[in-house]
Amino acid sequence: MRDIKLDTSTDPQVGFRPPGSLDPEPLAPYSGRFTVRHAAHLLRRAGFGGAQADVARAQSLGMPGAVDALLHPEGDDFDFPAYPANDVLYTMNGGMARSGTQLWWLDRMLRTKRPLTEKMTLFWHGHFATSIDKVPAALMAEQINLFRAQGMGNFRTLLASVSVDPAMSVWLDNRYNTKAHPNENYAREVMELFALGLGNYTEDDVKNAARAFTGWTYNNKTQQVVFNPKLHDDDTKTFLGHTGPFGLQDVVAIIVSRPVHQRFIARALLEYFVYSDPEPELIEGLAQTYALSGYDIAKTMGTILRSNVFYSTRAYRAIPKSPIEFAIGLLRYAGTTHVPANLPYALRRMGQEPLAPPSVKGWDGGPAWINTNTLLARFNYVNALAAQAPPKADAPNIQPDAIVAQTGFDAPRVVEAIVSAALQDDVTRDVRETIVGYLTQSDAVGSAPFGRENYQQKIRGAVALTLNLPVNQLN
Amino acid sequence: VTNRRSFLASSLGIAVLGGSMPLALMRAAGAQPLPALGASIDPRNVLVVIQMNGGNDGLNTVVPYSDDAYHRVRPVIGVAPNTVLKLDDRIGLNPALASLMELYKEGRVALVQGVGYPNPNRSHFEATQIWETASPERPQQSGWLGRYLDRTYPANVKPPSMFEAVALGDTLPTALVAQHVDVPAIGSLGGYAYNTIKDAKTSAGALYDGAGPGESPYLEMIADTARNAYHGGDALRAKIADYTPKAAYPNDAFSQQLKLAAQLIGSDAGTRIVFVSIGSFDTHANQRAVQDRLLKMMGDGLKAFYADLAAHQIDKNVLAMTFSEFGRRVTQNASNGTDHGTAMPLFVIGGAVKGGIYGDHPSLTDLDNGDLKFHTDFRAVYATVLKNWLGHDPADVLAGSFQTLPLV
Repeated sequence: MRDIKLDTSTDPQVGFRPPGSLDPEPLAPYSGRFTVRHAAHLLRRAGFGGAQADVARAQSLGMPGAVDALLHPEGDDFDFPAYPANDVLYTMNGGMARSGTQLWWLDRMLRTKRPLTEKMTLFWHGHFATSIDKVPAALMAEQINLFRAQGMGNFRTLLASVSVDPAMSVWLDNRYNTKAHPNENYAREVMELFALGLGNYTEDDVKNAARAFTGWTYNNKTQQVVFNPKLHDDDTKTFLGHTGPFGLQDVVAIIVSRPVHQRFIARALLEYFVYSDPEPELIEGLAQTYALSGYDIAKTMGTILRSNVFYSTRAYRAIPKSPIEFAIGLLRYAGTTHVPANLPYALRRMGQEPLAPPSVKGWDGGPAWINTNTLLARFNYVNALAAQAPPKADAPNIQPDAIVAQTGFDAPRVVEAIVSAALQDDVTRDVRETIVGYLTQSDAVGSAPFGRENYQQKIRGAVALTLNLPVNQLN
Repeated sequence: VTNRRSFLASSLGIAVLGGSMPLALMRAAGAQPLPALGASIDPRNVLVVIQMNGGNDGLNTVVPYSDDAYHRVRPVIGVAPNTVLKLDDRIGLNPALASLMELYKEGRVALVQGVGYPNPNRSHFEATQIWETASPERPQQSGWLGRYLDRTYPANVKPPSMFEAVALGDTLPTALVAQHVDVPAIGSLGGYAYNTIKDAKTSAGALYDGAGPGESPYLEMIADTARNAYHGGDALRAKIADYTPKAAYPNDAFSQQLKLAAQLIGSDAGTRIVFVSIGSFDTHANQRAVQDRLLKMMGDGLKAFYADLAAHQIDKNVLAMTFSEFGRRVTQNASNGTDHGTAMPLFVIGGAVKGGIYGDHPSLTDLDNGDLKFHTDFRAVYATVLKNWLGHDPADVLAGSFQTLPLV
């Protein structure tokens, strides 16, 4: 039925399916073996990865159980504050509201027991890209809370909520959109970037939607969006072929009912969670799932995360990790319990400062994440992190003692332990040999071979080399 | 320095024009196709873009000192007429720009007045994006220089040097965001390096050099980029080692960036586009002290930069232009500062520039809601630089058609 060969070898380079040759039943539930590599793949895509134990736990649940645990997490999450806590904000120096809010969210990504919810929150942040460069930090936090509360719910509800969200109202100027002086900024982006895509509407549709969105003013004092009927245009509008005295809810309802919108959301989810450039029949299939679910994001995500195509070799380690996925994945893998204070700055150098997308188009993502600046920032972040040894607060939980207790001072076995825990063995023989060589050989720098005197340092070095492999830049 | 290059040049049978620039040599010797050039465009031309970050107050940069209206709106922070460095009987430079005035007197500075665009934006973020993407109407991901690089070097053509374009700073400015040309952001010479824990560096290099591509469509690209990231810092330090600055640069960060820019331009690094920032010019309070200090820093840095370039005989191939996201309000505020405004002057500097004043000073009485009216679209300046300096069709980079200025 499928050509799934992930678990037949430690070499990932088998059974790769080129783009455009879609398997039959790509969205039917996957029924093949669910190995550690499948489980790690699921946790990376539907969350931010995890430590070796997290992966083992997910694998023990089997695919349906592991997906259910992500979709319907049981038990309470940690007690996160709804807004950045004062002690987070005020321990920061300049720009403390900005970095405080960023750290507040990054901490949540790191420690949450509901990683899919947080991943969807990040997805919607990139989708409805709003920036703290224009919007006050408190409003940004409120918008992130909105994505967290509604991001797994109904898209029609979400789009209506975003349309009256204070941060969005400030960001795209809908607060200035009145009957006397229509402002098309928000209406245009709803069509182009949020719900339909270029070419699927006319300039008249933009004008008429803008009129429907009039009257939603922003009160600076209360920081609330308030509807003022006097500023609303309640005359007849014609929008995407429908005519009536439309308001905000009507426009949203018309948009989501369009097949072109359903394909737009299906493509966005597939590009983010499965692979780039998805086949038209795959988009069509998921668009139908989405429409039949009544625009239900959790149900649509459930279909994706259980599907054959999600576990296909074409999807496996196929998408460049975003900087946030890379960094939070790193900290989760390393068992770090709090976010280092320099992470927002490091993420900026990696090309994805949270809450600060470059424009309303969000981050381009995919291969655009990768250039010499951003990779150097990733490498140096890993190197600096791995060099931190306990009792330093930011030290990763690498545990050289536990590794040698298991393997002895047997360099090949040490490397096996490291690449197995960090990368589920997704490395070639050459790479293993290079890392073994690092452990065992003295080099020009004058370091000693692997042994009792230097295993702490050497194991940290080997972990850094492993985490900086090209394959670890892929989700 | 010159000897080695001259030797190289003669051994390749190439005449080296006007000094010892290796750029023509590298381009002529390499197999890469040259960008389409106008007949009179020197392929060694270099562009340095200077961002005056924060919104520079144009009225106290180029002062309409003989206009009573100026002194009425600037009773405290106005520049006194007897201190102004006079350009003509109406306008003059802020005295903090004494060094720039020296360059002006040598005919190397074009002052372009009244620069802006329709429906000006007063948000730092949005206005900066507008200037750097050259797109006032719609948000754009790529910068104007990024698009220039992408068009000059299509996806399958690598620039002759990894340092073809360089941003001097920790992160890439939007102006240099390209689709496929990788532009290094270099905060400092020492900081641009693969920093590793103790002894792992050699092994890291072996991993990137030896890593074979896997099955992901991106793995090979990542490994390739990783190699450049890993080797870039050492390569850069080796390339610029043979360039010895021949001017005394001030010690401030901006001047030191210009010193690095000169090294990049004049050495085997072969850099053609440099982006450098100075600021913050966001002078809402006590403007004179802050702005005068920054203007002096900018002028002194540029004077040293051009002295250095001239000593290396490459000043005629280097053109610097300033920009800022907006000018400031005409009337001073209650804190002896100025708030966000609109049109402003910018400077284009270099040995090949036709020095002088381009355009009138905007009127201080015919205002738009208390703000200056622009008369020269900033994209006309970009078009001038693209066409007359870099030999590139502006329509390829800018949406719309803009009249070029005869300043170069």
